[in-house]
Amino acid sequence: MFASIVSYGLAVGAVYALIGITYNVMFSASRVFSFTAGMLGMLGGVLGALFIARMGLPVIVGLILVLVCGGVIGVVTEIVTVRPVLKSIEQHLYVLSTLAFALMVQQLAAIEWGTEAQPFPRLIPIEQGWLDQQFWLPMLACACTIAGLELLYRKTLIGRAFLAIAEDSYAARAIGLPETGLRLASFALAGMIGTLAGFTGAEMLLAYFGNQSILNFYGFVPVALGGMGSNRGAVVGGLALGLFQQAANFLVGGIFAAVAVFVVFIIVLLLRPEGLAGAAATRRV
Amino acid sequence: MPIKRRQVLSGSAAGAVTLASGLASPAIAANEPIKIGFMPALTGPSSSTGVGINRGTILAVDEINAAGGIDGRKIELIVRDTQSDPTKAVNAVAELMQRQKVNIIWGPLNSGEALAATPLVARDKVPMIHPCWVDELIDVKKYPMSFRIAPTNTQVGGGANYYVVDVLKLKKVAVISDTTGYGTASVNTYVPMLKAKGAEVVYTNHVDAANPDLKPELLRMQSAGAQVIMPWSVNAGFLSRICNTRGAMGWDVPIVGQTTLGSGQTKALLEKPEYWNKVYSNNFRQVCYADGKLPPRAQEYVERLKKAKIEFGDTLLWWVALGWDGAKMMADTFKTAGTKADDVVAYMNKVKGWPGVYGTVTWTPEQHNGFPDSEVVMCEVNSLKDGAFNLAPGYSA
Repeated sequence: MFASIVSYGLAVGAVYALIGITYNVMFSASRVFSFTAGMLGMLGGVLGALFIARMGLPVIVGLILVLVCGGVIGVVTEIVTVRPVLKSIEQHLYVLSTLAFALMVQQLAAIEWGTEAQPFPRLIPIEQGWLDQQFWLPMLACACTIAGLELLYRKTLIGRAFLAIAEDSYAARAIGLPETGLRLASFALAGMIGTLAGFTGAEMLLAYFGNQSILNFYGFVPVALGGMGSNRGAVVGGLALGLFQQAANFLVGGIFAAVAVFVVFIIVLLLRPEGLAGAAATRRV
Repeated sequence: MPIKRRQVLSGSAAGAVTLASGLASPAIAANEPIKIGFMPALTGPSSSTGVGINRGTILAVDEINAAGGIDGRKIELIVRDTQSDPTKAVNAVAELMQRQKVNIIWGPLNSGEALAATPLVARDKVPMIHPCWVDELIDVKKYPMSFRIAPTNTQVGGGANYYVVDVLKLKKVAVISDTTGYGTASVNTYVPMLKAKGAEVVYTNHVDAANPDLKPELLRMQSAGAQVIMPWSVNAGFLSRICNTRGAMGWDVPIVGQTTLGSGQTKALLEKPEYWNKVYSNNFRQVCYADGKLPPRAQEYVERLKKAKIEFGDTLLWWVALGWDGAKMMADTFKTAGTKADDVVAYMNKVKGWPGVYGTVTWTPEQHNGFPDSEVVMCEVNSLKDGAFNLAPGYSA
């Protein structure tokens, strides 16, 4: 039982963490909380199964195509749903525009792909060892993503430009940084991370249009727990959520497991509204 | 089963041909075609059933018309695709009754649409036959002109319970469902029925169908001493996860439940083909193999279809047979009772032991559920051949 809680909890937690990072990457560049993260995760599974299982493409080509599609969808999200509402960001119109776009894509996926869960191919043709690939693939993807993002943000000029935009977009624009271009790039990057999460988690979650709402919500929990914009917080929050959810599945089971997760989530937010790793926001007066 | 556009088009085309041939009849009152308003879901999520039933209905109508129709009057099948959408079913049924002035409504073919359409049909006083399972759809006081040609949900659950308790002689049962309305309602109805039969329900729970790991639930069933798992869900992902988890645990208990357990979508999600062993789903005695043979009526029907080069590879025999039975029942009624609504209902109220391919139908003025309990059986899901399954082990032939 313990092994099952750990392997399953960490794997599903890694998927939640990656979706949380997807939220963060989009949020940092635009201050917009885009509800398209779960959609990207869902598409990672559905497009992966489409390219590899249905069209018979090699796994690596399928992965590249999925990431490219994710990037393109990220760019489209920015142009269609974020840019028009940025001027009135205080009104939180982006909640509507991003959610509507995500629901539209989900319905399209349901019509074209079908409403039944469908199988996702085994990505690496190896026997099931003590830890199956459906568990370690999302963990590996999560580790690579967080390492890659750390390198990007700390060691490269473009990464620092991302951080500058996130810190103060007005000042960044004043010193000549191309804010629009950087925002587009970060949405493309988020698109790739989101679809990577869905792709590597799909052996466990299957290629299913209904995964969108679960990923949207459970991917949001680590962001709220870890603090908005904090990728490390999202990873810690995601893994903790996965472990806790799986432990609750074993201990109470059924719908009560979901209730247990929500209860803990609400308690944490009541005690620390800024998130476990986030700093309390200060307001200039 | 994926629905190909071609199948849908061929179905609609056949309907259109029937329609055209009907319209070509001379417009003398006595020779006017008899109109059947048919409402299959040919597209959308409920369409695999609709396409199969549509095929059987069109076959029967074509055969009746080719043999000269009913006392010289052709049957005109007016088909409206409901697109698996209750709203569209409501619009279609209104159009069929008010503009097309059909003599009878055949359908809708799934309960969600029927729940929306049945009150309208009752209001307009048009006779109606449908094959939907939700119990509330038949009520001789509210809907005196509606008749069911298939089992009810209670009969379906009762058939599964009978198999577990009386045929397999298992007493400790685990009942699980997803969190949908269908899943929770089924568990709430079937668990008391199981207990009334003397079974001990050692585990019962509702689980989110998208939950990727059902091992905790199956471990809980195992530690409670369950001898059989009864899942109630139409979600192939959920059902396949139960089969996969049972297989991975090496737990050798039977799984007994709803027809989706035996669907192609469930099969596609199995990690190993052998995880489908000892899985038994609802089916119907008249269209199941017993000792490798179909019952005589179904056998004769299948041979006739094979001669006409009609294949079952992409659908199920019971769907096609159900479509066939619906059309034949209506034709028999019109032949004996004419087309006046009251006469049609009076005739159907006295139908007794009507020998369909799919089932034997008996209606009375007090009971419009026509399907006998004894013909609701369980089948081996991994035995599909020519669209039909083997009876589950333990039944006498």
